[in-house]
Amino acid sequence: MREAVVSLADVSFRFPEDPDNTLTGLTFEIHPGERVAISGPSGCGKSTLLYLLNRLYPLNCDGIVEGDIRLFGKRAEEYRPGEINRLIATVFQDPDSQFCMTTVEEELAFTLENLRVPRSDMDRRIGDVLAKTGLAAFRHSIIQSLSGGQKQRVATACALVAEPEILLLDEPLAHLDPLTARNFVRWLDGLQKQTGLTVVVVEHRLDLWEEFFGREMTLGPGGRLLADKPAVPKPPTEFPGRLSRMTAKPSLSVTGLSVEIGGKQLLAPLSFEAAEGEVSVIAGPNGSGKSTLAKALCGIYKHNGTVRSTGTGYVPQSPEFLFLTNSVRDELAFSGLAAPETLDDLAGRLKLEPIREANPFSVSHGQKRRVAIGAMLADNRPVIIMDEPTSGQDAASLRELFSLIDERSREGVTFLVITHDMEFAAGVADSVLLIKDGRMTGKFRAEDVWEEPALLDAHHLLPPKGADRRAPAFA
Amino acid sequence: MRRLLHDMNPSVKFIIVTVSMLTMAFFFNPWTPLLFWLGILAMQLTMSRINWKLWTLMMLPFTLGAAGYLWTTLVFGADTGGEVVGSFAGIEVTDKQWAHAWSLTFRVMAFSTLSLLFAFTTNPVTFVMSLMQQLKIPPKIAYGTMVGYQFLPVLKDELNQIRQAQRLRGIGRDRHWGQRIAGTRRLLIPMLAGAVRKAERAAFAMEARGFTGERRKEFYQPVHICSRDYVLAGIFLMVLAASCAGGVLLGN
Amino acid sequence: MRQPWKLKEVVLASLFGVVFGIVYLVAVHFGNIWAGLIGPIAYEWMFGIWFIVSILSMAIIRKPGAALLPETLAAIIEVMIGNAVGPRLILTGVIQGLGAEAAFAATRYRHFNLAVMMLAGAGAAVFSFVYGYFVSGYAALDPSFVLLMFTLRVLSGAIIAGIGGKYMADGLLATGALRGYAISRTKQGGARA
Repeated sequence: MREAVVSLADVSFRFPEDPDNTLTGLTFEIHPGERVAISGPSGCGKSTLLYLLNRLYPLNCDGIVEGDIRLFGKRAEEYRPGEINRLIATVFQDPDSQFCMTTVEEELAFTLENLRVPRSDMDRRIGDVLAKTGLAAFRHSIIQSLSGGQKQRVATACALVAEPEILLLDEPLAHLDPLTARNFVRWLDGLQKQTGLTVVVVEHRLDLWEEFFGREMTLGPGGRLLADKPAVPKPPTEFPGRLSRMTAKPSLSVTGLSVEIGGKQLLAPLSFEAAEGEVSVIAGPNGSGKSTLAKALCGIYKHNGTVRSTGTGYVPQSPEFLFLTNSVRDELAFSGLAAPETLDDLAGRLKLEPIREANPFSVSHGQKRRVAIGAMLADNRPVIIMDEPTSGQDAASLRELFSLIDERSREGVTFLVITHDMEFAAGVADSVLLIKDGRMTGKFRAEDVWEEPALLDAHHLLPPKGADRRAPAFA
Repeated sequence: MRRLLHDMNPSVKFIIVTVSMLTMAFFFNPWTPLLFWLGILAMQLTMSRINWKLWTLMMLPFTLGAAGYLWTTLVFGADTGGEVVGSFAGIEVTDKQWAHAWSLTFRVMAFSTLSLLFAFTTNPVTFVMSLMQQLKIPPKIAYGTMVGYQFLPVLKDELNQIRQAQRLRGIGRDRHWGQRIAGTRRLLIPMLAGAVRKAERAAFAMEARGFTGERRKEFYQPVHICSRDYVLAGIFLMVLAASCAGGVLLGN
Repeated sequence: MRQPWKLKEVVLASLFGVVFGIVYLVAVHFGNIWAGLIGPIAYEWMFGIWFIVSILSMAIIRKPGAALLPETLAAIIEVMIGNAVGPRLILTGVIQGLGAEAAFAATRYRHFNLAVMMLAGAGAAVFSFVYGYFVSGYAALDPSFVLLMFTLRVLSGAIIAGIGGKYMADGLLATGALRGYAISRTKQGGARA
């Protein structure tokens, strides 16, 4: 076996603000050409570990490192700033915040300028990497006009143009829908085979990677290494069996709803109904009008047609966009419509008691979502639309979202959930509303949709792997 | 010919515009700013291709501002002596005040036209790249502004989302300025909190690609200064000098 | 400089500039035409709004230049966006930033309490007024009128920028977003000491 490219001996790491270690006693080696997954729940220090390998840490956070980190046989701290980034390149999770230039070509040139590549070589290297990554047609594209999946490919090309030995990826699929994610993984697989790169990926949703990895390291609490063994393909996140809570009482009735903004029709007239306790998933390709429908239903957008509802609430992908006050308590009470006893009851049911005095911006993402739902319910809006709540969530967080929706639906709350994640939909939905190109294809019973791969494919959706697995719950 | 101002080196253009504005500040006769204004208009007419409809629209608030300057200077002008040339609403205006008022008004018009000339003929990215290559502003600052510029559409969209979400919760359109300020804080906190996170991500992405902030020697797309820039700078300065001289002559 | 600037701090200052730029444009920039007709005094009371970004950034980053840089970046970005005031804005930004910076420098970057922030707001107002006096020709105006403008601007700087900046910094700190920046560290350090 060739010499290790990364080797850690008893490495611990601590942020200056924290009394406890984020990483503890890590010892391992990574060899050339390996495909390594680093997994573990949110907050276990996976990304921190990655940042120690590309030298973003400790400098950027003034963190305290103990133990010995060797990169290509040399102690990590002996590298000059930026020096290691020729050999170790990184792709990050957020497609929207890893570019600083306007076009793909300029962005690639930015890497080359940083590495002081002579100008005479730049053009050739840009052409080469675009050819290799199949992005030649995008050379002069404006990055901000590309889709999330395309941006992640451009980010990968920007990493590869440095001709590195190791490619690090920090949850690169987190903001992609499952179909785009699967295509990205297959694309990366081809690229790795072609180049023989060492690939290290921090990821909490390994199911999307199928058989990509050769090795999986699992980190646990305090950033300890729990396991380091050959990787096996992972099943998708499992959800407990769920009985439908749907009642016969309609809570939302939509007739001939259409949306036109600036003379452009965004949604063609559509009609459907939803009942109390029903959980309905809204799905369809990006830009098909899902968010437009959500915003029209809760009255943010003007629309034609009628919407009869017992009160429609909306939880955006970033729940904090709804927040107006400095405490969870005030946030629930903001509308002034609910009696104090109702608020106490709501806080209890949504498990908000322990954080009631906290600033709503400072709590965890899952808690923010609970606060947002609490605020909507306190505002007498028992029909709740959630916009992409599954995006960027780990398994634990998805299960939490599942039980949040399941419990509320038992109380008679109606949910319309926009998501691309059909595993999640298969776990939670009573019905599926498919949208494409601003038209509603139809509202289907969930069980029926999973039987129609062609219909799902036409809406850019992957059929859930767990569809058959869930069947016994209904038997 | 019609591309000349668009192709001019942005740093040179920037310096010329700044020098012109600072020079104008020394003149209180109405002729210098008027001549200079006309001169810039002539240059813009002959050496650029711009959307004059849009130009007129953007000029409108400045013109109103200039009118505001005119009456402010007439009513609240410094007592500088001189002959009374007229009066309205009980306020007497001397010839000097009259001249000052028109001077400041034309100054606003000249500044606005100059600003629009810059805005309409300068590519923002080339401008920042030129600031880094010619005026040697540190790369950290240059690329820092580039990141901000790229985030503009993202943040604008975010502001829309926040406004929509807050409206859903019963935050209406605020009428009074006091409410507006409180409302602005409610908008700013989520936006700034998001900006802090995005800033760190963007900075990490740049550093992970070897950006250290060191000055770079070679650029993929170098911005040059060539003979055309010297000629154009010369024309600008001649217009400036001619307006100064003409103004002094005509003012006497 | 005691500590060099980290890139994430520069980018933070830049994004703050963008955020304020957008919010000015959308939420505050009202009655433009009305204000134009009223003349130069119409804007005096709200001048402080332009200085907030300096004071907020200094409160968070606490390094020399933390008031000057964001104001300058904000101005460059405004020009990139195509602000019609154009390149003049960059010089204005630098001068306003220097005014705020002067107040923090005078206290040797040791104090970041409300009084210093109000002083910084007033500092930015004074610098910007002196510059405006020159460029916009206030010399042609009646001294008592100029004094009124000056007083309004300084008050606006101290109140809107000073108090507003402190208010925003506290609000942002409470959201927990500022982990890893000087403002969070000193709070904790203070509590431990």
